[in-house]
Amino acid sequence: MADIISIARGVFENKKADILIGYTKATSEGRTRPVIVRSADEVQNLVLNSSCLNNLATYLTRKENKGKKVAIVAKGCDIKSIVQLIAESQIKRENVYIIGVKCNGVKRSFEGEDSKKIAEKCLNCNVRTPHLADETVDMSDEGLTGKDEKAELIEKLDSMSAEERFAFWEEQFEKCIKCYACRQACPLCYCERCIADKSMPRWVESSPTKRGNFAWNIVRAFHLSGRCIGCNECERVCPAGIPLSLLNRKMVMVAKSEFGYESGMSADAPTLIGTYDLKDKEEFIK
Amino acid sequence: MSDSSFEPKIVAFVCNWCTYTGADLAGTSRMKYQSNVRMIRLPCTGRIDPMFIIKAFESGADGVLVSGCHPGDCHYTAGNYHARRRWILFRQLLKFVGIDESRVFFSWVSASEGKKWVDVINEVTDTVRSKGPFTNYQKLNKEFTING
Amino acid sequence: MMRIGVFVCHCGENIGKTVDCPTVAKEAIKLPNVVYSIDYKYMCSDPGQNMIKQAIAEHKLNAVVVASCSPHMHEKTFRKACAQAGLNPYMCEIANVREHCSWVHDNVEEATKKAVDLIRMTVERIKFNFPLSEIKVPITKKALVIGGGISGIQAALDIAGAGFKVILVEKEPSIGGHMSQLSETFPTLDCSQCILTPRMVEAYQHPNIKLYTYSEVDNVDGFIGNFKVTIRKKARSVKENLCTGCGLCVQKCPIKKAPSEFDEGLANRPAIYVPFPQAVPNIPVIDRTVCTFFKTGKCQMCKKVCGRDAIDFEQKDELITEDVGAIIVATGYKLYKIDKKSKDAAVKGYGEYGYGKYKDVIDGLQFERIASASGPTAGEILRPSDKKQPKKVVFIQCVGSRDPSKGFEYCSKICCMYTAKHAMLYKHKVHDGEAYVFYMDIRAGGKGYDEFVRRAIEEDHVKYIRGRVSRVYEKKGKYIVKGEDTISGVPVEIEADMVVLATAIVAQPEAAKLAQTLGIPYDKYGFYAEVHPKLRPVESSSGGIFLAGACQSPRDIPESVAMASAAASKALVLFGNEMLEREPIVAKVNENTCVGCFYCKKVCAYNAIELKEIKDKKGNLVKVVASVNTGLCQGCGTCNATCPSKSIELIGFNDEQIFYQIKAL
Repeated sequence: MADIISIARGVFENKKADILIGYTKATSEGRTRPVIVRSADEVQNLVLNSSCLNNLATYLTRKENKGKKVAIVAKGCDIKSIVQLIAESQIKRENVYIIGVKCNGVKRSFEGEDSKKIAEKCLNCNVRTPHLADETVDMSDEGLTGKDEKAELIEKLDSMSAEERFAFWEEQFEKCIKCYACRQACPLCYCERCIADKSMPRWVESSPTKRGNFAWNIVRAFHLSGRCIGCNECERVCPAGIPLSLLNRKMVMVAKSEFGYESGMSADAPTLIGTYDLKDKEEFIK
Repeated sequence: MSDSSFEPKIVAFVCNWCTYTGADLAGTSRMKYQSNVRMIRLPCTGRIDPMFIIKAFESGADGVLVSGCHPGDCHYTAGNYHARRRWILFRQLLKFVGIDESRVFFSWVSASEGKKWVDVINEVTDTVRSKGPFTNYQKLNKEFTING
Repeated sequence: MMRIGVFVCHCGENIGKTVDCPTVAKEAIKLPNVVYSIDYKYMCSDPGQNMIKQAIAEHKLNAVVVASCSPHMHEKTFRKACAQAGLNPYMCEIANVREHCSWVHDNVEEATKKAVDLIRMTVERIKFNFPLSEIKVPITKKALVIGGGISGIQAALDIAGAGFKVILVEKEPSIGGHMSQLSETFPTLDCSQCILTPRMVEAYQHPNIKLYTYSEVDNVDGFIGNFKVTIRKKARSVKENLCTGCGLCVQKCPIKKAPSEFDEGLANRPAIYVPFPQAVPNIPVIDRTVCTFFKTGKCQMCKKVCGRDAIDFEQKDELITEDVGAIIVATGYKLYKIDKKSKDAAVKGYGEYGYGKYKDVIDGLQFERIASASGPTAGEILRPSDKKQPKKVVFIQCVGSRDPSKGFEYCSKICCMYTAKHAMLYKHKVHDGEAYVFYMDIRAGGKGYDEFVRRAIEEDHVKYIRGRVSRVYEKKGKYIVKGEDTISGVPVEIEADMVVLATAIVAQPEAAKLAQTLGIPYDKYGFYAEVHPKLRPVESSSGGIFLAGACQSPRDIPESVAMASAAASKALVLFGNEMLEREPIVAKVNENTCVGCFYCKKVCAYNAIELKEIKDKKGNLVKVVASVNTGLCQGCGTCNATCPSKSIELIGFNDEQIFYQIKAL
């Protein structure tokens, strides 16, 4: 199978796209960073390995990339977000050239102990072979292992009392500095003006107060309910170390258990929010 | 922690056509219920935004009720179905962040169910009263007032 | 700068008794931006309204909060008063301190506190109101009438007679409804067919009426003045434009044993049939479930004998769309069938009367067919089992009706009268026969009705027994009716030759489904709900959809006809206007912030969200955003709650209004 550099060259030579979003080596050892390649001459620095953590789909909706034909290097999870973006009218399928990555899992983090573990999202991955791609490329790295610590934490939280859960989140959300890195990294947080920035009325306190933080984190999780594809970028980029994936994963589990729904699998399938079923559960409604 | 003199603050977000009218019927029929509830009229349950619930807690509510037309009866055909799906998700999220299920209630009350409205309000009021004030959330609010 | 006036109504003692109105007014003036407040005995009265108008002028009010009864009661009144004083009517809001406060609470202190709270919330809300003007939309001056029974026919004829087009849809192969099955009608005993048939023909031939028989309403979109209706014209298997109604196919059809719907199963019909001789249109239909050709692929006898080649086995259901401005629902009723119950049926009782088990235990409509000259016995009273003349007939009223324990709670209304009629018809035809009627009460309110029942008792010697029947069972060819005469307090046992049950009038089995298609409410029995039981009895709560006849509740013929004409006049009132004025409560998009995810479009039940291209000065496409068609938007606000960035808001219930209302808790 061809490697990422020759595939990328082919993209430009065959005029498949105007630009290509991929990964290149970062200055620090072991890190990669996103790169936008504009011609065949620039492809030689592209890399593809288990340090390619970023979900590049988040760049597809950036203003400067709109209206362009964009080639993108995307792992299965990243492709899920591309599918979701198509389903939500943010991009057109014909405007994106997907270089799907056959992936064995990426690192949990660039650095430290976690860089030796497989990312938790990769443990139960159902799209190691891309489910939507114009061509595929192999990421040959293998051998990462690790435990799903977050799943254990979700279970633990579920078994707590409401008071205890509230205390847990109060402590977590208190760390939030409202930098909105979670929003910035999320491929599905593409609103031009986030509700958190709306001032008339101000649903979410703008300063990092306890109640503002609480409101923001609930709203963020709710707005991603039935949409989040679990790339976990929000948590990875959070400078305060808030375990945001717990919220998202919980809601992914709810979507699955309550509606049998999984986001990002098909752009033609009805979205979870925006549709309804006469048989939706309502045992909680008096 | 329940304080015997504690009277809960309860907000009800209701649709105009079924529950609001059902509550009107409870009034015209001179049925009695506890006076803790403050009702906010929306055209449809479909209009009821999860933000309203958050804002209600931020404004000191101890309990919230959301009520509208029974399935199939929505004045706007499907607003209550969209709302129902939204509540299924939002309810689980609230639960997961530690907002007790016995502070957020949902009901279908039709225009002819004045009695049901009375029962729902009394039940909600009693439940929230027995839970006591929502100090957890009110603590969050307090911090805000100190810091400006 | 907001200058708000608060007007607190005592509603006589209705509010004043539990809410301390003067205190409430004093508290209200303390609220920010409230510059005037007053309490008065009757705000809705002329002097009350004048107080508001004067205060608007004197205190330069630009918003008015009235603390009074429900907005459903007097919002319009007060908004109109404000408009007369030059204030935009949408700058007036109601705080409901009667239905939601004074009437439901006893404690004066609590109720007063709550009233102040409700006013404070409304005051905070109104600060974010802004002047609005009504939306004008054109009206399609054409009506759809669903149901071709007497109610539907009457409504169609009235509207057509006023010069407007009507689409009349009937699900059966012929119009006529239940009235066409009746023998004679109470209280005059004139022949039902004789008075109905001319109406049917008139409707068929009327240049303004387009008739779709054997058709159903599949879908309804749109709103008052502008409905788009999809009609499913079911495959009749006969080309209507070619058929002359000669009836040869019906005669030659080898299938003869399909139970006749028209004769309530007491006679048979062929697979290709016309339901009854006077059917309109007189065009046969093939019942594909019994036709040999459709079952085995062989036969085609009808096709062979048809000189016009009108038989079309290939015919498919056809979907037709029609634009109409008003809809009249006249889908009628069904009789409660004791023997045919699904497991989840609400009512399971009355097996003890033997209906479905004994051939000679029949229901009211079956008796009509037996008594009818066009019926299976040509009007001779013969019982179904052995075609012998019954000498003793027992009529049982209220089978299923007025029975909260195992039936329906409501009164079916027409049974007292038709049972008297049945007994009378029987006596007129079987002079030596005996007729017994078991009844709970005789409800004969109506012009000439009580006289009619008296005639049955006094002149025709029908024996009325007040009491319920406990059981009907067969014994040596007789039906033993065991009951009680509650007036003399003795058990009664009658050996009858035939038993006629006045079973309850129930809603059509598909009534709820149609209601959901139309978006109109219905009660727990499936009867359609009127918007006000006294003052708006023929209007559904959906604008432009009106109700006629027994689909709303059990009705007799004169009432159905009156309702039909009333519903027609409601449609005509609508058609009397060129444009329709609608409340301006519609959604509005903030195009600057809309990112075009179109979740609003997904949740919109009215297809009111359209795509709009935003271009820069050079004409390059910048983005595609949502845009609201205000003609279609009904103002539910589901889009507003769904929009993640709140870039679409419902005018009149916008985010700021609700936000500050909550904040003022």
